[in-house]
Amino acid sequence: MNLTRRAVLMTSAAIAANVVRPELSFAQAAPRKGGVFTVHFPAEQRQLNPSLQASTGVYIVGGKIQEPLVDLDANGQPVGVLAESWEAAPDGKTITFKLRQGVTWHDGKPFTSADVAFTAMNMWKKILNYGTTLQLFLTAVDTPDANTAVFRYERPMPLNLLLRALPDLGYVSPKHLYEDKGDIRQNPLNLAPVGTGPFKFVQYERGQYIIADRNPNYWRPNAPYLDRIVWRVVTDRSAAAAQMEAGQIHYSPFSALTISDLARLGKDPRFVVSTKGNEGNARTNTIEFNFRRKELSDVRVRRAIAHALNIPFFIENFLGAFAKRGTGPIPSVSTDFYPSDNGPQYPYDKALAAKLLDEAGYKAAGGTRLSLRLLPAPWGEDISLFATFIQQSLGEVGIKVDVVRNDAGGFLKQVYDEHAFDLASGWHQYRNDPAVSTTVWYRSGQPKGAPWTNQWDWTDPVIDKIIDDAATEVDPGKRKALYGEFVRRANSELPIWTPIEQIFVTVISAKARNHSNTPRWGSSSWHDLWLAE
Amino acid sequence: MEALRRYFRSPPAVLGLILLLAVLAMAASAGWLYPRDPLSLAGRPLIWPLQDARFLLGTDNSGRDIAAQIFHGARFSLLIGLVATVIAVIIGVVIGACAGYYGGWVDNILMRITEAFQTLPNFLLLLVLVAVFGSTITTVTVAIGIVSWPAPARLTRAEFLSLRNREFVQAGRVLGLRDAALIFGEILPNALPPIIVYASVVMGVSIVLEAALAFIKLSDPNIASWGNLIGLGRDVLRVQWYVSAIPGVAILITVLGVSLVGQGLNDALNPRLKAR
Amino acid sequence: MRILKLAGRRLAASIPTLFLILIGIFLLLQFAPGDTVDALIAQMGGGGDAELAKELRRFYGLDVSVAMQLVNYLWRLVRFDLGFSAIYGKPVVTVIAERLPATLLLMTSALSFAFFAGLVLGVIAARRVNQWPDTLISTLGLIFYATPSFWFGLMAIVVFSIYLQWLPAGGFEDITLVQTGLSRTIDIARHLVLPSLTLGLIFLAIYLRIMRASMLEVLNLDFVRTARAKGLDETSVVVRHVLRNALLPMVTLIGLQAGTMLGGSVVVESVFSLPGLGRLAYESVVQRDLNTLLGIVFVSALLVILINFIVDLAYARLDPRITAEG
Repeated sequence: MNLTRRAVLMTSAAIAANVVRPELSFAQAAPRKGGVFTVHFPAEQRQLNPSLQASTGVYIVGGKIQEPLVDLDANGQPVGVLAESWEAAPDGKTITFKLRQGVTWHDGKPFTSADVAFTAMNMWKKILNYGTTLQLFLTAVDTPDANTAVFRYERPMPLNLLLRALPDLGYVSPKHLYEDKGDIRQNPLNLAPVGTGPFKFVQYERGQYIIADRNPNYWRPNAPYLDRIVWRVVTDRSAAAAQMEAGQIHYSPFSALTISDLARLGKDPRFVVSTKGNEGNARTNTIEFNFRRKELSDVRVRRAIAHALNIPFFIENFLGAFAKRGTGPIPSVSTDFYPSDNGPQYPYDKALAAKLLDEAGYKAAGGTRLSLRLLPAPWGEDISLFATFIQQSLGEVGIKVDVVRNDAGGFLKQVYDEHAFDLASGWHQYRNDPAVSTTVWYRSGQPKGAPWTNQWDWTDPVIDKIIDDAATEVDPGKRKALYGEFVRRANSELPIWTPIEQIFVTVISAKARNHSNTPRWGSSSWHDLWLAE
Repeated sequence: MEALRRYFRSPPAVLGLILLLAVLAMAASAGWLYPRDPLSLAGRPLIWPLQDARFLLGTDNSGRDIAAQIFHGARFSLLIGLVATVIAVIIGVVIGACAGYYGGWVDNILMRITEAFQTLPNFLLLLVLVAVFGSTITTVTVAIGIVSWPAPARLTRAEFLSLRNREFVQAGRVLGLRDAALIFGEILPNALPPIIVYASVVMGVSIVLEAALAFIKLSDPNIASWGNLIGLGRDVLRVQWYVSAIPGVAILITVLGVSLVGQGLNDALNPRLKAR
Repeated sequence: MRILKLAGRRLAASIPTLFLILIGIFLLLQFAPGDTVDALIAQMGGGGDAELAKELRRFYGLDVSVAMQLVNYLWRLVRFDLGFSAIYGKPVVTVIAERLPATLLLMTSALSFAFFAGLVLGVIAARRVNQWPDTLISTLGLIFYATPSFWFGLMAIVVFSIYLQWLPAGGFEDITLVQTGLSRTIDIARHLVLPSLTLGLIFLAIYLRIMRASMLEVLNLDFVRTARAKGLDETSVVVRHVLRNALLPMVTLIGLQAGTMLGGSVVVESVFSLPGLGRLAYESVVQRDLNTLLGIVFVSALLVILINFIVDLAYARLDPRITAEG
């Protein structure tokens, strides 16, 4: 993942040297038991239970306290956590999980299949975002004995889709603490979670910190190594970098520092700055077109806009070493689904852009061909830099762009509900399988107001059929081929463009060991993390 | 006039005027010195000041010329400050005049409203207004004006309370002048001097309020305001601190100039109260 | 007891204002694009279907009409129930109570710093009027007045926390150590030095100027000349006679500035990561948590009214010609 890309900000030296550090591939020195690991916690969430909310903001805390059925190993393959083994019936409608034995909740009660059944039917299926879609056709979870959970679906569920999704969407909550205790959403446990994980919840001082201590009864032998984890709430990114340099914080996850701080700390031997450990959290920057604007419904105009942007220049000068040219909705890190042929790529060509606009009938009378409103999402420094770049680049081909600022709720409302935009720009998060959160950006028939879905007023029966077929195709080879077709169609019709691919960046103290050793390490349980002196 | 001479005898007041004229000069010459759109890409990002002859003040994180943004920004900061101040003063004067002149239940209601605006922390109200009405330069300016009117209102009311029973007003009443004529024709011109002086304070505050909004990324991103530049520079603060520092200094100079001019006016118009 | 009665009367007189503010903000925020469910979905990263959104709106009480929501809110308010916070899932009263100490501490220390430093510097400047200490102090005062506080805060972090490493870069206290009593107090004090300086800077400039002007005015009045004629030395004159009178405008100013300081704390708390009401207010606007925002507005309005009341009492003590009833 970009390990040899040269850093190009002005004062750059290659930071690749810092990215491939000996500690990462070191044959293990004996792990040191003990120590307090402090984590930068930039955005407080409304609750901490990952069975109810699927986002990295929750996993960074909840993922250490509660555990999923399945996680990803160092090679990105599913590995059992609370589940030991699994098998699927040939028709794909029944998937059986054999659960791990001898696991207890933090309050001492045993973990059983009843917990899995309860969580799946009441939380994953009814409340969990992305879980409701994933488990749409789940009809029941049978529990023939305390260690077996049988998932029964009314339509075939591809096993590898389920296994890829469960690390994020498969966290288990204790039935005995949630059942018959009133509304699940209002259960106070959501802010003081009880799980089976390596760390037990201790305290949450809102606005300041969260503390979790080692779980002495954790089911893995000799784990965890750390005594305690402390999450410090720091909303200002410059202040967070300052605290890291002052030694108050060990780890800042998910690109929570500014781009220039990432570059700067990357050259500091006290820190490791890399994308390793985040391959499961790839995202692409998007440019979304509103077809309700007549000009944008013409594919030539959309292609012209794509050709007018010098993406490699932008990446090199503004985003630094951790971004690369995107090729389509499926990012290159997805080894299972990345197609060999991605279809048209729209290289930078100002002349071609002008020609396409002329052809479409938008001549540059007095300098301006058309005026567009661009709404960038407010949650990323790269997004606002990209918006400025789009504004300037399109200005050079005669398209006047006005950038409209919104806060988070306002942005979602304006773009995905009221459709009050011409262009929008944000992130598309890829969640290990296109069916989870990628195809909804293209499939027609999305309800009005559903964010990060096809709200462009664009319908394409061809791509709808490809998406539907792939969602229920059980054979992995055929599925991959179908998604290849999906990508080529998406890139040629261009309802949205995904020209930049990024992986979250981790900044961590060089004293940490056994970090970044899974593709979703920031969200994983850290049972083997330790701090050297 | 006597007041003018008094003004120029005070060194701080003269300094303030010089600073203000400097900023005005920047605003006036911006179009001529930096004819290109100040928000257009000019060079590589994050060039330090004095390193490249083309960019005396360096470039920001989007590769835009900082000097161009400072000069053009002078226009916007002064404009925003001025318009917001005018809005605040007009609203404040109208409300204060009515409250002070009519007294009774009119005064009561208007003062309740004024008190409501003053009790609410003005930055909070600003946040709400911007969240509701959006972040364009128009809405931000109007919002700042709306948040700033209570103090001019109180000042106007106090002036009117003391002036309304003076002889010239009673004379006007005897002559049969209508209320509006009395308020705007007779009393207001006499009440204006302290209000105008206070307007300088409001202007200084308005400029800083816009910068604060831009700092938390809630201002209009399509204009080259100084506040936007400070907000941009926040992301590179630790090393390329000049991106935030330079517009900060510009704001400092402007607010300083405005304050000194206001103070000078105050001293010149009220020699008895001048602390010398 | 007279004081209590006075306080009660003052509070009663402020009730219409309070209601005006609350209703005004409530209605205003209805026009903001997006509601608290949109903000929650933004945080979740999507993946909810329409059913989920509808369910969440019902959960947050947003499925009834605006008028009904307002009536519900006011009816709860009258019974002293500030409602439930959408962001925190806890009663608003609890949320505010958790954040109030940090803000109060910050405001008190910023105010104290600004007041006393302004007082001392103003006195020095007035005593040495037109000489170099006066020029220096006055110039500094003007520069402080014109400096944007957030910029000063960030620069202070860079200088004092990174390069000099004298003070912590943020937070309220050091949570990796368990501390009690004196060491905890000192720890919190260390964390509050830079934020108080930042927040108090502009007020320091204002107090400085007012104190200086006030002192100069009083120093020329008759009773001071009398005291001097009596043969009292300069310091006694200043402390015993001049100060008391010169303090009056300063004290009045505290009341007027309380609201501004609360607003200024939004940015300062964000830069220094302090768990206070200012940041909570910003969060509630961005996440459209109406109950929390209105609760904060309510509490801060009460705070301003309380401070003004105390100021009036102090005013009456300082100048016996004025009674607290005004």
